[in-house]
Amino acid sequence: MTVVLGQDLTKVYSLNGRQVAALRGVSLTIAAGEYLAITGPSGSGKSTLLQLLGGLDSPTGGRLELMGRRVEGLSDDELTDLRLRQVGFIFQRFHLMSVLTARENVELPLAEAGVGRRERSERAAELLAYVGLADRADHRATQLSGGEMQRVAIARALANRPALILADEPTGELDAATGAQILELFDRLHQDGVTLVVVTHDEHLAARVPRRVHLLDGRIDRDELATAR
Amino acid sequence: MTWALVVRSLFRHPVRTALVVAGIAVAAALLLDMVMLSGGMERSFSRMLLSRGFQIRLSPKGTLPFDTEAMIPAITPILDDLRADPDVERVGPVLATSLHVRVGDSLLTLVGYGVDPAGQGLYELEAGADLVPGDSTGLLVSEPAAAAAGWQIGDTIRLQGRLDPQSARAEAERVVTVRGVVRFLYDARGQRSVGADFRVMQRLGRFPDADPASMVMVKVRADDRVDSVAARIARTHRTVEVNSVAALVVQFRSRLVYFQQLSLILATISLVVGVLLVGTILTITVSERIGEFAVLRGIGVRRARVVRLVMAEGAVLTAAGAIGGVILGLATARYLDAILTSFPGLPAAISFFVPERTAIAKAAVAVFVAGVAASGYPAWLAARAPIAETLRADAE
Amino acid sequence: MSSFGVVLLLHGLALAASTAQPLPGIAIERRLADRYRLAVGDTVRLTPAADRPAARYLVEAIYQPKADPATALRGEYQIRFHLPELSRLLGAADRVDRIAVLGRPGIPADSTAFRLNQPAFGYRAYPSERIASESSRTFAVVSRFHRAIGVISIVASAVFLLCIMLLKVEERRLDAAVMRMIGISRATVFRAFVLEATLVAAVGSGLGVGLAAVAGALTNWVYRRRFETSLVFSHLSPDIVAFGVGLSLVLGVAVGALAARRLVTARPLALWRRAG
Repeated sequence: MTVVLGQDLTKVYSLNGRQVAALRGVSLTIAAGEYLAITGPSGSGKSTLLQLLGGLDSPTGGRLELMGRRVEGLSDDELTDLRLRQVGFIFQRFHLMSVLTARENVELPLAEAGVGRRERSERAAELLAYVGLADRADHRATQLSGGEMQRVAIARALANRPALILADEPTGELDAATGAQILELFDRLHQDGVTLVVVTHDEHLAARVPRRVHLLDGRIDRDELATAR
Repeated sequence: MTWALVVRSLFRHPVRTALVVAGIAVAAALLLDMVMLSGGMERSFSRMLLSRGFQIRLSPKGTLPFDTEAMIPAITPILDDLRADPDVERVGPVLATSLHVRVGDSLLTLVGYGVDPAGQGLYELEAGADLVPGDSTGLLVSEPAAAAAGWQIGDTIRLQGRLDPQSARAEAERVVTVRGVVRFLYDARGQRSVGADFRVMQRLGRFPDADPASMVMVKVRADDRVDSVAARIARTHRTVEVNSVAALVVQFRSRLVYFQQLSLILATISLVVGVLLVGTILTITVSERIGEFAVLRGIGVRRARVVRLVMAEGAVLTAAGAIGGVILGLATARYLDAILTSFPGLPAAISFFVPERTAIAKAAVAVFVAGVAASGYPAWLAARAPIAETLRADAE
Repeated sequence: MSSFGVVLLLHGLALAASTAQPLPGIAIERRLADRYRLAVGDTVRLTPAADRPAARYLVEAIYQPKADPATALRGEYQIRFHLPELSRLLGAADRVDRIAVLGRPGIPADSTAFRLNQPAFGYRAYPSERIASESSRTFAVVSRFHRAIGVISIVASAVFLLCIMLLKVEERRLDAAVMRMIGISRATVFRAFVLEATLVAAVGSGLGVGLAAVAGALTNWVYRRRFETSLVFSHLSPDIVAFGVGLSLVLGVAVGALAARRLVTARPLALWRRAG
């Protein structure tokens, strides 16, 4: 099953009156269960592509389908609903709600999706246990370490059982040891069948991902499958 | 979840939140005071006039009751005519005049009211006995008069009327007995007043042969007939001014138009201050947390929910401020009322700030609505934040 | 002003006709003339009460009375008579309400009043100052009320100012952290922020004075039209400006200092983290 189908995607920004092309015709297909790393130097369009895939931004040109639905032309509410139910985001800076506890952060997208209180609570507990934070559920985000915050962010991304998880430099703010723990968690997600797209500078991370898409100047430079792990 | 986010967001900066609530409370207090001031005087005046149920006043042509020294001459036929009206339940003539009484070596000047005990609407008995119809030797005294002269119930007093300023001698005198202590409804604070039978007072006052009255109070049987009875009396007796309580309230309002306009201006200013406070603080708060709102939108939270979140913060702030404002407003209203009721000559029964539920509800709702409306702009800012750009900026 | 109700019978207004006896003259105030379109030379009939006979008078002059706050809001009209004419109209011959006495220069009014009161029957002498103080009691009450409202406004604006300064400081955490990190002393950072607060308060006060002047002019314009008077309802005196500006500056500097203190007492790294 195809989760993402992008054809000839372009994205042009207006920067101080100047037109800057961040993507210049990217075509990409991601099947369900794939684990994919998008790499490339700064300014190559990695994050822009990730934002298009996640419905955070709209392409200037080309065609993009997520779970068989055309993204261009969707209303803001439809895009929001798509992000809520089909996509899970993991950010470099975790972006947890600092005033909420770990459990409440995980419950947030569930509440938005209209899941009942009890079911929400059970699912949050299950997810926090999955990421190894069952004992930190009632700690505020500000009381957690960087690695713990990223694990809560992963649990939050998984909350509504999305078809696609997008991670933007997920180890960028973490030390090597903690980063390694997150990568192990990603491996586990992949083994459990989650479709995972990771944008990274981290060669160590990229090296352990089955499929690597390398961007250069807004175009796909290489799209390769790892031969061995 | 929404409320947890709202309340905890507000507690993220407790000093800031406390200051905003305090600012809203002061603005709300001023607004409440001004709402009370704008309607309180009228209600208090109307309540005072209707306290004995008399809905119509007759006064000398071109004057308001007790506004001048003018009198209605030849009152008896007018009273007879009024009493004969089937719509009229009771008629209470009043004559106000200056009286004097010797206390030791000095002469005490008093306000003397002549009333008809069968239809009086001028006082309420506080101690002793009331006058009865035909009691030509009874006297009712106000507390300040009794205190100034040292009178007790049962004391016998020689009242002097029509004092000739040239000879300092009274043209009329009458020995009366203090029957009771009363509260005259229209007296100023500390006013020394006494009341006696209407005919007794006519003989003690000016122009005894003119059969004068200062005012006549009329109680109509049915409230819905007041206007028609007032119009009928005005048509029949063209030499008197006929006013219903509603008409007197209108006249009173025109005299105190300054306070009404002041209250309107200050109420508007306090609302503007409240709106500015909530709007400014929430706008700055939203700008600080714009990344947070972008994340919420990023993980699938709808625009409407973001708007609700910010507006709920505004609502919590203004609700807390409004509650504080009501308490503060009621306290300051007492202080402001004490200032304004010290106007010379103002009846003690008049209040400028009447703490009524409707006034409190009006002020609280106005502050709340204004506060929530003021959070509209920051809510719009939060909801319209471009997600991708904001997250990009946040990552840099 | 006389407390007798003099009724102007305008519906029966008759213009001056040639009469054997010249009519007594009166002067009427400008508002009355405008209200009933009366001009010098017109005849009016006046009566002290509706049931009393009216007498005819000739409008000899139209005048502008001195603006009096005690009567401005009552909306009553003034007419000036020659004293005997008013006595005749009221049927109160040889009677006056009050007499104004001008003492010789150098003699205190109190002692003149005391001497006049000694043999007196039928009158009581008061120094003008005492009458003025008695009759200004109403305005003293209004003044106290305004002061109380002023205090409430000051409290509200102080809270507002405190909020804004607090927010400004929070906004400047990063600047303060950078300044401290590159070696600028606490005292310099403190002075810089207090100076900034002072400037903000000074500019705000200036704008406030301008706004008050506009609001005052608007208030005067509205109320002068409303009550047909030349009275000044809102007066922005130098004292008030000095008080307002002084208070804003003091509040601004105090609150700025308080907020700046919070910044300089925190460790630069902590500020940096909080700013991030």
